Order: sequence, then C-alpha cells, then structure tokens
Amino acid sequence: MNHVEERLRDEKKRINSITAPEELETRLRNALNEAAPKRTKRRIPRVWKAAAAALFLIVIFGYHYNAFAYYGKKLLGFDELISGTLLQELNEQGMGQLVDKGVTLEDGTEVTIDGIMSDANQLILYYTLRNPKGIEDAMGGIFNPEQITGFLTNSNVHSGTSLINEDHTEIKGMRTFKPVSPFAKQLTLHYREQLQNNQGKDGSISFPYDPNKAMQTQVKKSIRKTIKVDKGTITFRSITATPTMTLIEGSFNVENFDRIHSGLSGIELIANGTPVEELGSGHQSSIRGRNFSIHYGLLPKQLDSLELVMKEFVGYQKLDQKLSLASINENEPISLEGKGLWVKKAAVTSQGVEITIATDDDVLLDGVSIEAQDEVTSLRTTVNQLDSKLEDGTIMKERTLLFDTSVMPEYLHIKGMHYMKEYNQVIEIPVN
Amino acid sequence: MNAVRYVKKAKKGNKEALLQLIMAEKDDYYRLALTYMGNSHDAMDAMEDMIVKLYENIGQLKKEEAFYSWSKTILANSCKALLRKRQKLVPLDEVGMNGNLAADAGSFPAPDLVPIDDPYTNSDRQMDIQKLLQQINEQQKEAIQLKYFHDLEYQTIAKITNVPVGTVKSRIFQGLKKLRELYGGEIDESR
Repeated sequence: MNHVEERLRDEKKRINSITAPEELETRLRNALNEAAPKRTKRRIPRVWKAAAAALFLIVIFGYHYNAFAYYGKKLLGFDELISGTLLQELNEQGMGQLVDKGVTLEDGTEVTIDGIMSDANQLILYYTLRNPKGIEDAMGGIFNPEQITGFLTNSNVHSGTSLINEDHTEIKGMRTFKPVSPFAKQLTLHYREQLQNNQGKDGSISFPYDPNKAMQTQVKKSIRKTIKVDKGTITFRSITATPTMTLIEGSFNVENFDRIHSGLSGIELIANGTPVEELGSGHQSSIRGRNFSIHYGLLPKQLDSLELVMKEFVGYQKLDQKLSLASINENEPISLEGKGLWVKKAAVTSQGVEITIATDDDVLLDGVSIEAQDEVTSLRTTVNQLDSKLEDGTIMKERTLLFDTSVMPEYLHIKGMHYMKEYNQVIEIPVN
Repeated sequence: MNAVRYVKKAKKGNKEALLQLIMAEKDDYYRLALTYMGNSHDAMDAMEDMIVKLYENIGQLKKEEAFYSWSKTILANSCKALLRKRQKLVPLDEVGMNGNLAADAGSFPAPDLVPIDDPYTNSDRQMDIQKLLQQINEQQKEAIQLKYFHDLEYQTIAKITNVPVGTVKSRIFQGLKKLRELYGGEIDESR
C-alpha cells in the first residue's frame, strides 16, 4: 500500500537531483534586461499615499487651524447681541460649550439652548427662540428662564438680554445665572412659559455639562479687610477673577446704607493702575448684616498690581443747623458742610406747609423739622422728587417736604445728612 | 539571504534583486518547469516568461513573504500557457495519451524530464511511476506531482491549478487511490 508513496518519494529524490543548467542565469538576466524597463503600473506604496493625504490635511487644516477651532466652538449668531462686550471676545476665543438642545412651546415656538459659558462667577446661557408665525416682542415674554439646577447646583437667573430680528420670527437671548457646581455633570434649565390666557406653565430642559470646560479662575484671593465707616463697618471678603468677570464679595453692617441709592458705586478695583469697569453690584440680607457683591470687568492678563479703593461710601454728617426761612434766596445755596442746599419755595397749601428744596444727588437730609412760633413740626413725608440736570451737567435732586401744619414756619431744622463721603481707603491685594 | 529585503528591492524595480531571488532557488524553479514542460529547453523558456511577468507584476505582491509561492504560481501558469501554445501546433492525440503503458514515452513530456546524465535514467522504477502517473487523469497527476515532487503547499497548488484547496486534496487522494490500485495490481501479479 505504501509502495506508491515510496515510489513517489523515490521519484522526488530523483527529481531533486536535477539541477538547473548553468546557462539559466544568463538566459534569465537577458530576458529581464530585454523586458521593458517601463513598469506597466507603478504602484505607489500606501505609506506615501497616507503621507500625501496627511500633508494635505496638515497644510489645509494647519493653516486654518485657528479658524476651524474658532468655528468649532464658537456660539454662532450671537455677535449682535453681545457685540462690543468682553463676552464677545470670549465667544470668539471659543470659550463656550455647545449645547444645542431644544423644546417646543405650546404656541409652536421652538426654543434652542445654543450654548453656555461657565466659570466660578457665573453661568451664561445663550438661547434662541424661533417661530415662523412670529414671536411676542417683549423681554420676559413667552420664554422666561428662571433657574438652573443640577448636582449641588441651584442657580437663579441673574441678568439677561435679548434681541429680536426684523421679521419678529427669531429672538436671540442670553441670561446669566449664579455659578454652577463643578461637580455637576448635567444641568436642568427651569423656565416659565407664558400662555395665551395669561397663565404660566413651568417646563425644563436638561443638557450635559462638562465642568472641565468651565473657564479657569484666574485670581482667587481672600481679602478679609474691614473698614470703619460713619454708621458701621464694611468687610471685603474675597476677590474671584474669571474670564467673564471679576467678583468682589463681602458684607457690611451699615445703619444708613440704604439712605443713598448709589451705595457701592464708590468702590473701585484698580488693576495695574487703571480702574476696572464696574458692571454692577448687589446685596442681600444675611445673619450678620448684609452680604454684597460687586461685579467688575476682566482683569488684565498680565497682572502686576491690584488694589481695591473705597473712594466713597455712605457717610453721615451731623449738622444741627437752624436755617431762617425768611432770609433765604432761591438761587443762593446754603452750605451744609460743603454740600449745597437750595430752598426753592416755602408755602402753605391745603396739604400743609410745603417746602421745596434741592440738593446734590447724593444728599439725604436727616431729622428735618420746622419751627413756627416755638412749635416744632416734624417732617411728614417727601413728595415730588425729581432729578434735574444743571447746565454744567451736575444732577440735582429736587423734592418737596410736607409738614402737617398750616402755620408758615420761621426756621428749618436739619439734624444731619446722609451723603457720599470720601473715604479714599486703599486695600492692596497681593498678586502672585 | 534575506528574501523579504530582496523582494522589497525588486518591488522598487531592482532587476538584479529579482534575479538573485530566483537564482537562490533556481533548482526548485527549474524542476517545477521541467515537470510541466518535459525538456530543459522549454523549461528555461517558461522561466524566462516567468521572470518577465514577475518583474512586471511584483508591485501587486502584497506580502513579501509570499514571494516564492506567488512566483511558482506564475511559473506554473507560464508553463501552461506555453503548453497551450504547443498544443495548438501539435494535435493532442499525437501526444500519446492513449492509455497504453507501452506507448512511446518520448512523445509525452514526463519521460523526457530526466536529464541525460541522471543516475536513475531508464531505471525501471522511475519508468514505472512515470507510466503509472499517465494512467490517472491530468488534474490528479498535476496535483500529485506538485505535492510530492515539489513539496508545494495545498494552498499554492490550489492557486496554480485555480481550484479550491478541498478540490486539490480530493484530487490527490483520488489520484493516489488509483495509483495504488494500479500499482498494487502489478505487485500482486509480480508476486
């Protein structure tokens, strides 16, 4: 049975003993040399094709890298809304996170959350409303973002603005919220929808949030400096600078703070010797007095020095002045410790005694009363307050004081005044 | 010799590298060609055809390691192409596939395979196997020759003969079976 295989092996041995003739090499070489040197189709190695493709991409994308990155992250279409602001600059740097989630309201308006910008000071939400049938043009109209919630997050809306297009079919808007927690992975926007019949409807949109893409805080320092003022103390607690704004936080316990409306406006943040634009301020009550926050613009990238200057703050000046109404002149101000007081008119009307006065915008008189025939009548109320602008640009606050008496007074008593007092206190904040 | 390196050179159009590759295994190529062509002259003709084809098509060879089985496939095809040309000139029935063991072996390629100075020339055993091989069909014979005389893998044989591997195995099996029957019968008779 194995004979066949044996025979085959034998035959193989025999065949293996055959060797190629000597002339073979020469013949093959000649045949090769005669072969056309031209290759029918020269195959380009794959690696070169890949290299060529890579080079192409590098040239195209590399050259336009900034442009691609720019369009990749930029929240498009909000230029007009935020033009000229630092937010536009940040948007152009691609600091936003695209969201692109939407919901349709009852009347068919499509709401799209385009994107957010987030940092330690705030969260900015960009949204678009679209309705081919037209949208109510009113701020706080059909779509009212109210709150953003998430893990350890409960941020109320802070401010906002929106812009409607000419056809009234699209609104681009933005809202700022209190900052969200860096541990939040998902955020939910709660909004209130205005329905036709004057009713509201609550709704929410959830979207993913990447805390890693939140903009980095540039400066975060505690200040812990307390300044004594006439009627209390003010404490500056901390400064937090992020790419969207700079926030100063603190608290005060000042008795007459709300006597003057421009309470915190005299506090300046000076970076590298130049004041940083103030964007706004706010305060709310807390256990120890009131907490306040002042928002400023951006700090310069290269920060050499930083100081907080309390140029002015609410002060109180004791006056105890007794002015004779008989000798007053409408155009001649009475000097109250450097502040002018104009008595415009004093008359007895059906309301009682009316005395119209004008002072600087920041002056509020305290303890005002009139004296007639040794009888003192306290101020009942102040009416008809209006601001009038003088020729030189200063704003005067004019108002009428009402007294419950029908006797023309002889004297005007003023116990004191609340006013913006110059303190010029400087707090240096060490940088680096 | 680093075949892969030479193959890469040959791919870039280096003729000498290609020639060296062939020369390194020239005997194997020659034996294979001789099996098909039956005589030295035609075997070398087939090899000339082969090397030109290799030169022209080596770019299509993806795996450098596969050069030898690939080039042998091309050689086999070159041989077959040459044989087909011959067949046009020489009518098939003259070739002597008449089933007669005693037929003129010289007209069929196989017996002429033996070079003149081969020590086994005209040995009975050799004649036996060659004659036996003529008793089985052409395809079985080819598969058995490639497998047993040239140590080619089933895969390569399948490529050369342009059939699936399974068919190659089956041809070899059937061919061997038939050979055993024929051979066995003879043995029995001789005993």
